[in-house]
Amino acid sequence: MKKILFTLTSLLLQLAAFAQNRFPKPDFESGYQYPDIQYAVPNESLWLVVDILLLVALMSFVSWAVIRKQTRKPIIWVSVISVAYFGFFRSGCVCSIGSIQNVALSLADSSYILPISVLLFFILPIAFAFLFGRVFCAGVCPFGALQELVNIKNYKLSKSLTSALSVIPWIYLIFAVLYAVTRSTFIICRFDPFIGIFRQGGDFGLIVFGVLLLITSIFTGRPFCRFLCPYGALLSLFSRVSIWKVKITKKQCINCELCHNACPVDAIKPPHENKVKENRLLGVKRLINYAVVLPVLVITGALLMRYASNDLSRAHKDVRLHDMVMLQEAAPQNSLSLELEAFYGQGRTVAELTEKVEKIQADYRLYSTIAGGFIGLVIGITLIGLSTKRTRKEYEIEHADCVACGKCFGYCPQNKLEIKTGTLTL
Amino acid sequence: MNGKNNPKKSPIERRKFLQMLGTAAAGGSILLVAGGLASRINRAEAGLYWQIDPAKCTQCGRCETHCVLNVSAVKCIHANRVCGYCDLCGGYYRSNVKELNTAAENLLCPTGAIQRKFVEDPYFEYTIDESLCNGCAKCVKGCTSFGNGSLYLQIKRDLCLDCNECKIALVCPADAISRVPLDVAYKLKDE
Repeated sequence: MKKILFTLTSLLLQLAAFAQNRFPKPDFESGYQYPDIQYAVPNESLWLVVDILLLVALMSFVSWAVIRKQTRKPIIWVSVISVAYFGFFRSGCVCSIGSIQNVALSLADSSYILPISVLLFFILPIAFAFLFGRVFCAGVCPFGALQELVNIKNYKLSKSLTSALSVIPWIYLIFAVLYAVTRSTFIICRFDPFIGIFRQGGDFGLIVFGVLLLITSIFTGRPFCRFLCPYGALLSLFSRVSIWKVKITKKQCINCELCHNACPVDAIKPPHENKVKENRLLGVKRLINYAVVLPVLVITGALLMRYASNDLSRAHKDVRLHDMVMLQEAAPQNSLSLELEAFYGQGRTVAELTEKVEKIQADYRLYSTIAGGFIGLVIGITLIGLSTKRTRKEYEIEHADCVACGKCFGYCPQNKLEIKTGTLTL
Repeated sequence: MNGKNNPKKSPIERRKFLQMLGTAAAGGSILLVAGGLASRINRAEAGLYWQIDPAKCTQCGRCETHCVLNVSAVKCIHANRVCGYCDLCGGYYRSNVKELNTAAENLLCPTGAIQRKFVEDPYFEYTIDESLCNGCAKCVKGCTSFGNGSLYLQIKRDLCLDCNECKIALVCPADAISRVPLDVAYKLKDE
């Protein structure tokens, strides 16, 4: 059977080499000229410059509105512009969320060429988050803007549900990086729920998912940003320690709870008093517990993911092709699938493919172990976060979660009471 | 840490210290990543635009069905300088046609996108009406198996949305789709 396949392959190869000059170039006697065909090329470099400039301009505008002016109105305009330009006009590619994968791949593999626009799309929102908080999320990101614009009501989700769901972006981020660095697939781009809406076409299931998310975001703020977006998770790290921070009011908080109710992403935490001061010995015990539990979780995660690495590697096209080839070699079929036809048609050998696949699987073993460690770390830190309670005297913004949408400004009575005291002149 | 040396300090101070540490770490990591990646950037080589390598393409027909656009951005392109200008064209007629006329039942293209014009005996010029072409590769298959291979598929840059990950490349059995730099406009056959 192998022999037959081999002769078949060599025959096909000869055909392919022969294909170019089966018929000689015609000698035209009538003075026929070959038509000169030009294929359309849009002015792509111009659009990339416009994209970057608009990104910086909109983020600066939001920062100014949120930090200096404390108003929300400009953010609504920014949202409209962003949905119209980045969303519908530019059809949403490349976005900052997807750029995580390109950057991760380029960090892991120096042969991958990272376009400068992708790098800027990745690093600029992070730099702004480091300076001013998540102003990118506020309205510059078309996904956030779209959800913000349809949001009407703010039903709060229970605390346990919120904290359970907010682990998802981290896991998603870890898997996106894992699949990107192994050159398998870009899952963030593949399972993008809103791109189908912006392009008015595409995968039906994803459009349904996107519409469901939008319907959900009418009743509760930004489900995608809070419970799915991997870039939001990354930005939250930087906005937690940002240099300038969003403040609800410049005046004294009067603990009225209005901002807490208004916040669409539940980032404003109510005052809390730890009534009983924790015994020092108990505190030390708790710390030791953490120091034991965290490494255990990390190692368990790493081992579990290492164990699953061979199954995970099936996300890579070549691994799937290798499985198909192995099946074919074991029990030859007459009707070949398109992949196998291309494989044998191109004259690739099984040994070469096997070598390639072994390399991919070795990559997977390494990277899934690291990914597993990070998954353990994320779960551990979330659990530790749930077990501690901070004392707060007034309503405070949790800067990691705050998306700088500016809704709280309008609700704070301290921002509204502007009693003008002037002198009456007669 | 701080609490041991001067026990009167409130835990807020410790939090502030940690916050500063975090700020420094975050700022440092941004500079590190940006610097590291910026040094690697080579603008001339940056591959952004998806193109098909016609030498690898196996005419499987997935370009028609897997593009994110409703009508695929992949179109058939004709390299006139490679074409043999035959009357019996493998990309124009179905196999085993009885008469070489332009009756629809004889033609390979399902959308009637290939037009032909008489040049001189025995040569015919073939052109593709791009607005009708759906990238199904039926003519490409015919031309590659029976002719000079002058018909081939290519991604039209003005139609392609430049997805970060090409949906067709994901399913291409021959791995024929890859990114090309900005200055390589098209991967063409007649150049």
